[in-house]
Amino acid sequence: MKIAITGGKGGTGKSTVATALAIELAKENKVLLIDADVDCPDDDIVLSIDTKKVKDVENMVPNFDKNKCIKCGRCSQVCKENAIVFVKGKIPFLVPEQCTGCKACEIACPVNAISEKKQIIGKILSGKKENVTLVTGEMKPGIEESSLIVNAVKKYIEPKEKNYDYIIIDTAAGTHCPVIAALLDVDLGIAVTEPTPLGNHDLKLILELMKELKVKSKVILNRSDIADKKEVEKTVKNFGIKIIAEIPYSKKIQEAYSKGIPVKHKAIKEIIKEIKEIK
Amino acid sequence: MKIAISSTGKGIESQIDARFGRCVYFVIAEVKDKKIEEIKSIENPSINVGGGAGISAAELVANEGVKAVITGNVGPRAISVFSQFGIKVYSTTGKVKDALDNFVEGKLEELNSATGPMGSGNKEFGRRGL
Repeated sequence: MKIAITGGKGGTGKSTVATALAIELAKENKVLLIDADVDCPDDDIVLSIDTKKVKDVENMVPNFDKNKCIKCGRCSQVCKENAIVFVKGKIPFLVPEQCTGCKACEIACPVNAISEKKQIIGKILSGKKENVTLVTGEMKPGIEESSLIVNAVKKYIEPKEKNYDYIIIDTAAGTHCPVIAALLDVDLGIAVTEPTPLGNHDLKLILELMKELKVKSKVILNRSDIADKKEVEKTVKNFGIKIIAEIPYSKKIQEAYSKGIPVKHKAIKEIIKEIKEIK
Repeated sequence: MKIAISSTGKGIESQIDARFGRCVYFVIAEVKDKKIEEIKSIENPSINVGGGAGISAAELVANEGVKAVITGNVGPRAISVFSQFGIKVYSTTGKVKDALDNFVEGKLEELNSATGPMGSGNKEFGRRGL
């Protein structure tokens, strides 16, 4: 079973929940935890796992053959990312960080002057703790499109998926491409939120996205007692789903989190009960 | 020599636009023997692009054949395009006309690196400071 931990708003406790859930599930199951927050992955820190690089993530960027190029500028015109700069009478040049490797330039070039060159855009790391295998995607700073790394991580784990009972995917905040890439093909998306206007607003966005992607969704309310939860409850009801667990604000959780100890709370067991019912 | 100035309006009486990639207009001035010989203003089509505005705006002025750019702030990607084509960049504020006068007198200071991170000129779509 593949479960995404997401939420829209940043800092709601996605990584805290994802790591705690992974550790708890791993007591009786084989668990693979994926850190898909590739811009700033930190599940390894939360769990105090030493990860090692298992693979570089590469994409293809255009390489211009100066002898073949007729300086027509077609490559630059078709580049939706504005990654190819063309000035009349000059050989085009690439701003590599902007390139997503779509290869449109290669197709558009009328004289086959563009060949493919590899560019390293990130890496995949892995480590293990208490029966939990962690696979982390990490983007090279400055690269424009982080969903490329998320997709590379998903491709990397694909042949290994059958060895695990549960795959937990910790997504980035937001509702943009890397989050969409992480949510595609999951069996369940759990949105972690908090009872604040920001939490509620971003929850609506992520629930809307999951509806669009036809991903079954549930909600966890973290720091549930810091404000009135009426608005979040209203949102959840409007989407016809439910809050499967509430985690109150607690100093003990904060302390464990800052020491790199996975959080233990009875709410985690409640979440697992709900997950097993779905499975 | 040709100079491009990021501007909030058409003509040399306008104020310099502090943003390079997402400025409203480019005033292109032809300067010869310290005198302004010709002026034209072009709208910046990159103002509303999703990303890479600095790159496409730099491409535009490079295609105009300018040798120098006067602006307020400029990002790292535009800077890399300028250096590729040997275009010099100067940063100042105020009226376009005054900036041009200061430029021909050699009073403007040349920029060698970006004044801020990419996306800074985009209020609505740019990167939020995370």
